Amino acid sequence: MVSPASMPSALTFELIARCSTTRARAANLTLPHGLVQLPLFMPVATQASLKGLTPQQLEETGCRLCLNNTYHLGLKPGQEVLEKIGGAHKLQGWKHNILTDSGGFQMVSLLKLANITEEGVRFLSPHDGTPMLLTPEHSIALQNTIGSDIIMQLDDVLVTTSPDTKRMREAMERSVRWLDRCIAAHANPTTQNLFCIIQGGLDLEMRKECCKEMVARNTPGIAIGGLSGGEAKADYCRVVNACTSLLPELKPRYVMGIGYPEDLVVSVALGADMFDCVWPTRTARFGNAITKHGMLNLRHARYANDFGPLEEGCGCICCRTGEGSLGVTRAFVHHVAAKETVGAHLVTIHNVWYQLALMRSVRQSIIEDRFPKFLKQFFSDLHAGDKTKYPEWAVEALLTVGVDLMED
Amino acid sequence: MASENGGRLAFEVLTQVDHSVIAPRLGRLSVPGRKDLETPNFFAITSRGAAPHMTPDVISSRTQFGGVHMALEDFVDKAGKGGTPPIMNVPNSSPLHTFTALPKRISTLLAPRRTPAVTAPVGNSNTAVSIFTSTGFQAISNKNYINYISAMHPDIAIGLGDVPYGSVPGSKRVEKMGDRTEKWLSELLNEKSEEQAVFAPILPIDFLSQSEYINYIADEAANSVSGLAFYDSNILPDIPATTAVAKLPRLTLDEPSSPAQILRQISLGMDIFTIPFIGFATDAGIALTFRFPKPLPPGSEGEQKEEMSSGTSLSPLGIDMWTSSHATTLSPLSLGCECYTCTSHHLAYIQHLLSAKEMLGWTLIQIHNHYIMSEFFAAIRSSIRKGAFEEDVRVFERVYESELPEKSGSGLRVRGYHYKSEGPGEPKKNRSAWGNLGPNEGKVEALIPIRTQRD
Repeated sequence: MVSPASMPSALTFELIARCSTTRARAANLTLPHGLVQLPLFMPVATQASLKGLTPQQLEETGCRLCLNNTYHLGLKPGQEVLEKIGGAHKLQGWKHNILTDSGGFQMVSLLKLANITEEGVRFLSPHDGTPMLLTPEHSIALQNTIGSDIIMQLDDVLVTTSPDTKRMREAMERSVRWLDRCIAAHANPTTQNLFCIIQGGLDLEMRKECCKEMVARNTPGIAIGGLSGGEAKADYCRVVNACTSLLPELKPRYVMGIGYPEDLVVSVALGADMFDCVWPTRTARFGNAITKHGMLNLRHARYANDFGPLEEGCGCICCRTGEGSLGVTRAFVHHVAAKETVGAHLVTIHNVWYQLALMRSVRQSIIEDRFPKFLKQFFSDLHAGDKTKYPEWAVEALLTVGVDLMED
Repeated sequence: MASENGGRLAFEVLTQVDHSVIAPRLGRLSVPGRKDLETPNFFAITSRGAAPHMTPDVISSRTQFGGVHMALEDFVDKAGKGGTPPIMNVPNSSPLHTFTALPKRISTLLAPRRTPAVTAPVGNSNTAVSIFTSTGFQAISNKNYINYISAMHPDIAIGLGDVPYGSVPGSKRVEKMGDRTEKWLSELLNEKSEEQAVFAPILPIDFLSQSEYINYIADEAANSVSGLAFYDSNILPDIPATTAVAKLPRLTLDEPSSPAQILRQISLGMDIFTIPFIGFATDAGIALTFRFPKPLPPGSEGEQKEEMSSGTSLSPLGIDMWTSSHATTLSPLSLGCECYTCTSHHLAYIQHLLSAKEMLGWTLIQIHNHYIMSEFFAAIRSSIRKGAFEEDVRVFERVYESELPEKSGSGLRVRGYHYKSEGPGEPKKNRSAWGNLGPNEGKVEALIPIRTQRD
């Protein structure tokens, strides 16, 4: 057991504003590679590249903190290469912040043959089928080499919908033990911030227990994990609600794997600050553009003669008008979608911009203390003002923090 | 930009007074509303209106090329089913530019077919040629082609030519080729708008077989066409050296396989190139590294590649980026290169991206390869200006290998609309990405950790 005082931190967290109705917060988070403004969405550059975008194009979307996946970087280019190059920032020419996951999630999501023991995760190499082992120590050593600004503990991830409460408890308790091993193995606590990951499935008591144990470890930031695995949205909201109410005010709270716009705004209302998801960039490659009125599948024939921007009023380089505008139309994206990679790149730029711009306007509304009004406008835009189409879970979750979407 | 295509395209030959002498020449192509193009130079090749791998913002800020080659067959998929191609509906006076989000400084050249083009199973007829769209083969008549040109407003349109792809035409066909092309060209010249610039196609057959057609261009059409488009640049020396013909810009659509071939064509007086090997190299993961006439002097910060210091051996024209020996090399793709890729990234990253099949790898190589090509032509122009071209070509041939390196890695997934099987028994173009885990499943050998901790 590590005493709380011994855990250094490489970040400063400054609370800027609090919503007077919901639990939403606006904060400034200063990391080793600069300031990021919370609440925040982090796009995922899995293999040290955000799907086809140059680091400069990513920077132009306003992104100052993106994800890399430890598991993927561990396979390619591998730890030895990363060590020689001097870490992931130097590898990809990225001047801003990077967060890496622990690699544990990919073991579960990509590999059906993963086997978890107290020692770590055993799995077969996807390259040649040779058995491999990932321990908390390996994960942290690898993330230390990667040099990411935020590193994640290795956790024992279980789908939240698992009915096996005994296994769920084992996973939660093991995650706490692995956190201690991660803290002990962490070589660069003054330059890299280790975040713990709250586990416990959908069992609120177990989540609370985990919060208590992990908060006591005093990591610079706290993540809520194991979600976004197919659980009911109402259950998801209950878990986030339960956790954020137990977490310290002055630490960043990161909910892993969340990226749908409606999930983001509701989670912010429930008191979460940071999110990541591959969905916006993945769906872009299928020709889907995110807009405030919902998603457009640009491969559909109805867009073949649509010479408007992807989204009217959007500020991304594809859509913006005036000086330096590219004049990319829905018709052009339709013309190249799924045929030339340029189509994917353009929609990726737009979608990342959309997600970041959404969070910027959420932040602004919190600072100006008009977030409840923002939420109402957001859902009204998304469902063309038709309240019968509002998702029930969102209405209920927002009621718990004092916002009634149904009232006018 | 200047009043949209208000003026006319102009070409000025800046060197060489005696038109009967075959020699390299400098020129300036002025397209209304676009940036002037110093020649010799090249037009980048597009696919479905996009320069592969490069978004319009990358083109405008990271490339220097002044023109693009666009293929009509990339835009008229829907016409095959009786529909109207969307590009015909663009509400704008510059539809091709607007539709493709192309930066305004760049000129567009519209050709009927892609370069290189897929061989059509059915030949051309007296009134139409076969084209290949993403939805299959279509016949496109000269009448339709003329309509497309007038609707799309390319800066330059190449007249429809009876070009046989894939096969050597028999003597009967050869007779028809010139006649058909002459008829199609005269129809186009009669019907086109005043300001539409048209390049006359020169067929890939010997001069005698198309002499009647070429004489028609020289005697009757030289003042109504704005340039010549060669499907085989070897015909260039045979073209009549009248003043009217000599002042036309010359563009080549044949497919040079190496910079040496480009140099040879320049020595014959070619002005503008389309160069498929840039894209081939990019897709194969090869970064072009040649300079004209020889490598840049070694910079202070790094030594030249080892192969080059061994004295007599030739320098490669490009470097295979797949090679794992680049995995930790932090130097740029090509020493002294000032392109975006080389100033922002290093070999190790490019190698990683290719090996991880990340699309950015091809984007960065594509930016670099187009930059190298722009620099190559800039150096050629300066060499011609100094009167040193012939000597410099000899130096180039002495220093560099004659062909690009073989590709070792696999490229991106190839797509149906630009590759077509041309017979039975062809191997698969794309390797399958995933297979069964197979017999290894469940078998456990020694545990190999991701990291073997030695300390």
